[in-house]
Amino acid sequence: MRVGCVWVFHFPVAVERRNRVALNRCSVLIGEATEQRGAVLDCSAEAEAKGVRVGMPLRQALGLCPSAYFLLPDLPRYGDAFDRILRALEAVSPLVEPAALGCAFIGLDGLNGHYRDEMALGDGLAQAVRHASGLTPSVGLAEGKFTARVAATVSAPGEVCLVPKGREGKFLSPLDVSLLPCSRDTQRHLELFGLRTMGDLASLPLGAVQAQFGGEGRRIWGLAQGIDREPLRPLRREESMRERLAFYAPLISREALVAAGRELLTRLLGQPAMGGRAARRMTLRALLSDGRCWERAIVFREATADREQMLCVLKSVVGAAPLTAPIEELSIELSGLAGETCKQEGFFSGDRRRQLQVAEAVRQLKARYGRSPVAQIVEVELWSRIPERRHALIDYDP
Amino acid sequence: MVAHPGEATRSYRLRPLNQPRPIRVEADELGEPQAVVLGHECLAVAAVQDRWRIDDEWWRKEVSRLYFSLLLEDGRVVTVYHDLLKDQWRRQNWPEVGHQRTLAVSYEHTG
Repeated sequence: MRVGCVWVFHFPVAVERRNRVALNRCSVLIGEATEQRGAVLDCSAEAEAKGVRVGMPLRQALGLCPSAYFLLPDLPRYGDAFDRILRALEAVSPLVEPAALGCAFIGLDGLNGHYRDEMALGDGLAQAVRHASGLTPSVGLAEGKFTARVAATVSAPGEVCLVPKGREGKFLSPLDVSLLPCSRDTQRHLELFGLRTMGDLASLPLGAVQAQFGGEGRRIWGLAQGIDREPLRPLRREESMRERLAFYAPLISREALVAAGRELLTRLLGQPAMGGRAARRMTLRALLSDGRCWERAIVFREATADREQMLCVLKSVVGAAPLTAPIEELSIELSGLAGETCKQEGFFSGDRRRQLQVAEAVRQLKARYGRSPVAQIVEVELWSRIPERRHALIDYDP
Repeated sequence: MVAHPGEATRSYRLRPLNQPRPIRVEADELGEPQAVVLGHECLAVAAVQDRWRIDDEWWRKEVSRLYFSLLLEDGRVVTVYHDLLKDQWRRQNWPEVGHQRTLAVSYEHTG
């Protein structure tokens, strides 16, 4: 399968730099500093050149790059920017799979007729990303996701790297084994065995690699040859409804926020498109006056269309929210829309008359089939930690 | 002497409930589920909402399971466990305990 990979390297840093041009002139570190134990979420290429790596403790990263400009992550904003990119790519191909923040795979089969050649298709992908986000991606086109991703990795931002069909092995051969998706332990062993390039690995017999590294060895041996059978898992968009409320004067009280939430829920549940349906998920998003965003997603145990139930959850979430600045805008999104739900009554409960009717009906069924076809759930070992031990079914025989 | 109840003798048959069912789960090298195959669909895991471990019944047939409550990309929540003794994945509903029923679960992003 022909796959394209678009990748905006250091996506969070690229989004921050797009919004603040001054950051282009300095090294940037993004990380969550909580009780001095935060880790690096992303860093600029300059910081990476000084040895900073994603996932490294912040304290260590700041030691390696003391002049870096430090930023707290703005995940909702990065998510929004990436979503705009995905929507732009979906206009090119219906098969788009988000791989990581800033990186997406696109199914290209059947698109050749729309473009002059494959290079033009690659340019079209890059242009779609630029128009949607103002960011410049690297693009790789190849057979399979792994080769496409490597092709994007080795090309500079704005460039398109095209790997013709059947040339995957030759393309990958001189490249470093560190590009293979495998555990740190396997990487270390590859280094100890002197296997530096994918060509070194691919030249070994499969049996030897598999004997040394097991199932993972088989997989990376195939990838090093350019054989990647992992299917594309396209993003599936679900229907959602969103309402927002901008405040003339930023809100500072939680009570006012709950009142705004009530208003938004009333509007959402009153929309004709919502008619008779229930929502499984509610996402609250607040835009703070310092430019940052706070977001909270709530998944209901059961889909609900009950405003008071939603409001009850909203109150508890807002009450516990760490809001660090006044709120300029509040939005609520309802998603996971389902048909109206209803509560099922107990079969064996109800008034005396109904119980007698059920008992009589079961007696008739038993007379017809020889045994009661109705069963009842009984408690067996309710204290057990193993779920299947707690309850069992027993024939209902009135 | 105990009086005869006057009812016919019945044989009740207990049938198991909530038995674990095999499921295909794609996990990363750390054992964290990344995708779940439900029917013919492969659904990515949007978030691991909870995880807990059960080690029990060492006196008869030992049980060692690592449970995950998974929020899937389509909004469904499924509970799966990794059988640490047999290295197999199973799906099993996790019953609510007592009356401590939670209305909702939530996860947060703060920017």
